[in-house]
Amino acid sequence: MEQKLFVKILKFILVIVVTVLFLFPIYWMVTMAFKPYTEWTAAGGKIFWYPTKPTLDNFRSIFSKQLKMNPIAGTAIRPVVNSLIVAVVGTAIAMIAGVLAAYGISRYKRGGNLPFSLLQLRMFPPIAIIIPIMIMWAFLRMIDTWFGLVVIYGVVTLPFATWLMKTFFDDIPHELDEAAIVDGCSNAGAFVKVVLPLAKGGIASTALFVFILNWSDFLVALVLTDRRWTTIPVHISKLQSALVGQLYGPKAALGVIAAIPPIVFGILIQKYLVRGLTFGAIKK
Amino acid sequence: MASKNPRKQKNVSDTARFGLFLTLPAQVMLFFIVVFPMLAAIYLSLSTWSPLTSEGTFWYQAYKYWGWLSNYWGLVRQKDYLLALARTFIIVLVVVPVEFFIGLGLAFLFLEKFPGKKVFHSIILMPMMIVPAVAGFIFYMIFQSAGPLNAVLSRVLFRDVTLTWLTGKVSALICIMIADIWEWTPLMFLILLSGLMALPEDQINAAVILGANRWQRFKMVIFPLMKPVIVIALIIRGMEAVKIFDPIWLMTAGGPGTSTESISVYMYKHGFKYLNWSWVAAAGILVLILMSVISMFALKPLKEKKQEA
Repeated sequence: MEQKLFVKILKFILVIVVTVLFLFPIYWMVTMAFKPYTEWTAAGGKIFWYPTKPTLDNFRSIFSKQLKMNPIAGTAIRPVVNSLIVAVVGTAIAMIAGVLAAYGISRYKRGGNLPFSLLQLRMFPPIAIIIPIMIMWAFLRMIDTWFGLVVIYGVVTLPFATWLMKTFFDDIPHELDEAAIVDGCSNAGAFVKVVLPLAKGGIASTALFVFILNWSDFLVALVLTDRRWTTIPVHISKLQSALVGQLYGPKAALGVIAAIPPIVFGILIQKYLVRGLTFGAIKK
Repeated sequence: MASKNPRKQKNVSDTARFGLFLTLPAQVMLFFIVVFPMLAAIYLSLSTWSPLTSEGTFWYQAYKYWGWLSNYWGLVRQKDYLLALARTFIIVLVVVPVEFFIGLGLAFLFLEKFPGKKVFHSIILMPMMIVPAVAGFIFYMIFQSAGPLNAVLSRVLFRDVTLTWLTGKVSALICIMIADIWEWTPLMFLILLSGLMALPEDQINAAVILGANRWQRFKMVIFPLMKPVIVIALIIRGMEAVKIFDPIWLMTAGGPGTSTESISVYMYKHGFKYLNWSWVAAAGILVLILMSVISMFALKPLKEKKQEA
């Protein structure tokens, strides 16, 4: 019994150590966001494990337009708004196409090879076909526009939206919509009036999940946007100043803002994360 | 005789039309955003056209610079390209197993009860919610010579450590792997934990009663039952790891030199720094071919799992 307790404590300590290791990078970013310039690095000979003089200057420097001397003043406002817009619209596109396709696959066994090609799509590095897309977009004048970006987001996350929605539709007994059809409902009517209301929770979870994915994108936005429609991750990668070198503080501040929606939504849909990320192959 | 499926009893052509309508948007999107660009990429890859050298000609006039397979032939002999490919697979082959074993160990720890379990669980999930590019930036900070890692090492070793982790060819690659492992071990953990929790308890209890020790229990009972979950976890992670770009771009941008270029970084650099578009189109097609071949094997278990469901 003694031995067992000892092992238990040892395991608990191990859990704590691992958790601290996982948490530390996030801790470092969050504290960095509140550190004044002098505490960013140990270049002055001393490392600051926590902000000794916490400040909001980092946030102010990228969001306030008042600071005239600051070359990065107010530059983060547009990217934050942009990120929200493109992630929301991209999610809407993926969801509309995904919900319909998922229902078609789940109930009508339609779409032929569609399910498999969607999976395969996830294996291809997007950069491999982004050049022709860029050429197409340049031709259609869609570079550096929100609609140019959201169409790609819709396609990139379509596999997740479709597969995850299919699992939710599969969970709804066929008998329900089939009964509605027998009772004289049209195919579309059974879908809209019977199945969709039942799948509300699933649709919400899937949408949040797809939103996290779109919000996290970097590569597509890096290629397809230039100045007006850069998103938060792209802005972080480009944010620099000739005066102070690496802008750790402001970048970390922006990183904190980028981290908030996915963490909040991720906790909300914790139950479905595994299902979503494994394309519904593992249902918890 | 009437079919049992009421959908078919209804109006056959109406049902067929509705079924088609449902998948139409997805099909159309796939066609325009995937199939058409792919055809354009194949066309471009067979020329030597690039926006820099081709004096005002448009991409569709690439036939004026027709080069047949010269890009492909050049690629398979170019050291940078082959190294980027090899490096990508090395990253996948290191990172995925490491994530798997840490994730599995953690999952076993989380099978038992301990105080604050829910909180620990939520904290461990956080890294995978962090935007990958931001994760890259965080680890960029951590590995700076005046960053926290060196500070910890200085304290432990009792002397000033000022290593520049990201400027060494090998150390930079290891740093990138660490960033990826940090971000995606939680996913492995989550998948494996849900697999372990779904195991039928009576079978494990039976094994205990029969006197199986821990290792035997794992080998004879848990592992066979967990196999489908393990296979899926490895495939999903492998699929995503092959595409690695964001953390590399934020941490080293492929440097020093080309020593941390993954296949995505290579293509990005050649496409958008050197504007060598037909070359990158060919590089992309080669990768697509390679991935299609791999996916035929890799996606099989996923497909089978679907058909069961």
